[in-house]
Amino acid sequence: MIKKFTEMSKKMKGFISIVLLTFIGSIIFVHNNYSFYDRSIVEVVKTELLNQAEIKDHVNNKDKLFTQQVIGEVKNGEEKGKQIYLTNEFTSSKANNDEYHIGSELFVHIDSEVGENGYLKGSVDDVKRDKYLLMITWVFIFSLLFVGKRQGLFSLFSLVINAIILSIALDVYVNTSEKSLLIICSISVIIFTIVSLILVSGRNEKTYAAIIATLLGTFLSLAITYFVLWVTSEKGLRYEELQFITRPYKLVFLAGLFLGSLGAVMDVAITMSSSIFGLYEKNNNISVKALITSGREIGKDIMGTMTNILLFAYISGTIPMLILYFKNASPLGFTLSMNLSLELARALAGGIGIVLTIPIGLYITIFFVNRKRASE
Amino acid sequence: MNVLVVLGIILFILMSIIGGTKGVNSFFALFFNFSVVIIITIFMTNPSINPIILTLFASIVISCINLFYINGVNIKTKTAFLSTMITIILLLVFILYLSNKAMIQGFGVEELEELSMFSFTISVDFIKIGTSVIIMSTIGAITDTAMAISSPMREIHFHNPHISRGELYRAGLSIGKDILGTSTNTLFFAFFGGYIALLIWFKDLSYSIGEIINSKIFSAEMITILSAGTGVTLVIPITAWITAYFLVKHKISK
Repeated sequence: MIKKFTEMSKKMKGFISIVLLTFIGSIIFVHNNYSFYDRSIVEVVKTELLNQAEIKDHVNNKDKLFTQQVIGEVKNGEEKGKQIYLTNEFTSSKANNDEYHIGSELFVHIDSEVGENGYLKGSVDDVKRDKYLLMITWVFIFSLLFVGKRQGLFSLFSLVINAIILSIALDVYVNTSEKSLLIICSISVIIFTIVSLILVSGRNEKTYAAIIATLLGTFLSLAITYFVLWVTSEKGLRYEELQFITRPYKLVFLAGLFLGSLGAVMDVAITMSSSIFGLYEKNNNISVKALITSGREIGKDIMGTMTNILLFAYISGTIPMLILYFKNASPLGFTLSMNLSLELARALAGGIGIVLTIPIGLYITIFFVNRKRASE
Repeated sequence: MNVLVVLGIILFILMSIIGGTKGVNSFFALFFNFSVVIIITIFMTNPSINPIILTLFASIVISCINLFYINGVNIKTKTAFLSTMITIILLLVFILYLSNKAMIQGFGVEELEELSMFSFTISVDFIKIGTSVIIMSTIGAITDTAMAISSPMREIHFHNPHISRGELYRAGLSIGKDILGTSTNTLFFAFFGGYIALLIWFKDLSYSIGEIINSKIFSAEMITILSAGTGVTLVIPITAWITAYFLVKHKISK
C-alpha cells in the first residue's frame, strides 16, 4: 500500500491528500459543530429506566410503554457545560418516539425554571443526526472511488451537479407562479440528461444518440401517461398522501413521475447506444439488419431488470405506512389503494418509458451509425 | 377505467411486442415481486417474527424471481445470486447499526399530524422495519448490477478459456466501472422522483439547513439513497471476484 503510494503520480497524490483532508476535517467539524446551531444541544451521559407498563390500544394491539430518566450535558449556548434532567417516554415499537442511549445527542428546549436540586429541566425536540448522515456519505464516496476510480469520481460529480440543479429548480418553482412546475421540470430534465450522460460516457456520438433517445423516451412516456390520466379522469389514483403540500399536488405527482423514470431511461438509452456502437466498431461492415437483431436481444435482457429497479425503489418506502394501516385494522384493499396507487402509477409509467426507449434508442443509434458510415 | 389497469395493459402490450416471450415473463416477474413485497409486509405486522429474517427471506425469493425465473438457472445467474446475497447481508448489518444510532425509524414529526387518528402502540419493531425498507428498495438495482457483470464475464471466459482468475476479475471490475455511473443515476433519480413532494414541502416550510439535515424524514431519505448507492457499488467487486473464482475453478475441476 505504501509502496503503491510512492509510485503514484503527483496529481494522484494531491487528489488523495485532498480527499483525506476533507474527510478528516468534516469528521472533526461534525463532532464539534455545537456552536453553529441556534437550538440547544444536549449529549446524554446517563439514562435510567423509571417505569414500564403494558398498554393496549383501541384495536387490541399490545405494547410496552417505558419511561426513561435522561441526564445530559448541555453542549452550547449560555447553559453550556451544565447538567440537564429530561424525562422521555417510548414504546417498544418506537414508531413515533425514540429510546435515548449514552452518547445520543438531542436538540432540547430548556425550561426557564430550574429543578429542586439545581439541575436544568427541559424537553426533547429532536435528535441530532448530522454525524450519521456524514458517515454514510463518506462510506458512499469511498466505495465509489475505490471501485470506480476515475469513473467513480465522474459519477460523483454528476450526482452532485444533478442535486444542485434539482435544488435550484425547486427554488425557482417555490418562488414563482404555481403553474410553471412542468415547464421548469422539462427544462431541468433536458439539463439533467445532457450533464449526466456526458459525465458518464464522454462527448461522443454514442452519448449524443443516448441523449436524443432519452429525451424522446421520457417525453413520449409522459405524454402517454398524461393521456391515460385524461381518458380515465384519474380514476383509481388517491392523492391523499400528497395533500400535506399546499400546492397543486397533481402537478407535483406528474413532476415526480417525470423525474423518477429519467435515470432508468438514461440507463437504457446509453446501454443501447454503447452496445450498438460497440458492435459497429468491432466490425465496420456489419449490416443494419444484424444491428437491429442484436439490439432487440439486448433490449429484451434489460427491460425486465430496469422495470424492477423502479418498482422496488417506489413501493418499498410505503411499507411502514402499510404496517401502520394494517395494525389499525384497515382493510387490505383500502390500505393498498390509499398508499400504493401513486407509487404503482409511477412504476408503471416509468416502465412504459423504459420499454419505449429500447426501440427509440436502437433506431436513433442506427441513424448515427449510418451517418458515420457515410462520412467515412 | 382505472388508471393503474390502463397503464398496466399498455406496459404489458409494449413489453410483449418489444420483448417477446421474455418481455411477457418480465411483466409477470413485476407482478410476482409486487406480491412478495405485500405478503412480506403482512407478515411483518406480526411482532413475534423478526423483520430482518423476513427481509432475508424476501431477498432470496426476489433474487430467485429476478435471476432464475427471468434468465434461467446457469453459472451466470448462480454467481449473481450468491453475490447479491453477500452484498445484502453486508448492507443489512451496516444499515441496522446506522438506523439504530441515527433513530430514523417510523414517522417524522411532520407526518404525525396527518396520522393523528392512528394508534402507534403496535409493538412492531420499526427500527428493523426501517432497515428492511432500505434493503428492499435497493434489491432490484443490486440484482441488476450483479447480472450485468456476471453475464459479460461469462462471455469473456467463453471466448478466452485460458484467462487467469486475476485477469478475469479485473475484466469484471472494468465492466463494473462502466455501469457504475448509470446504476447510481437510475437509483438517484428514482428516489428524487419519489421524494419531490417532500423536497418542495421542506422548501415551503423554509427550514434552515441545520433543521433539514437533522430532521427524521430528510435523514431517512438520504440514508436510503446513499445506502442504495453503496449497495450497487459494493456488489461490483463482490460479483467480479465470485464469478472469477467460480468460472476459473469450474474449468480446473473438469
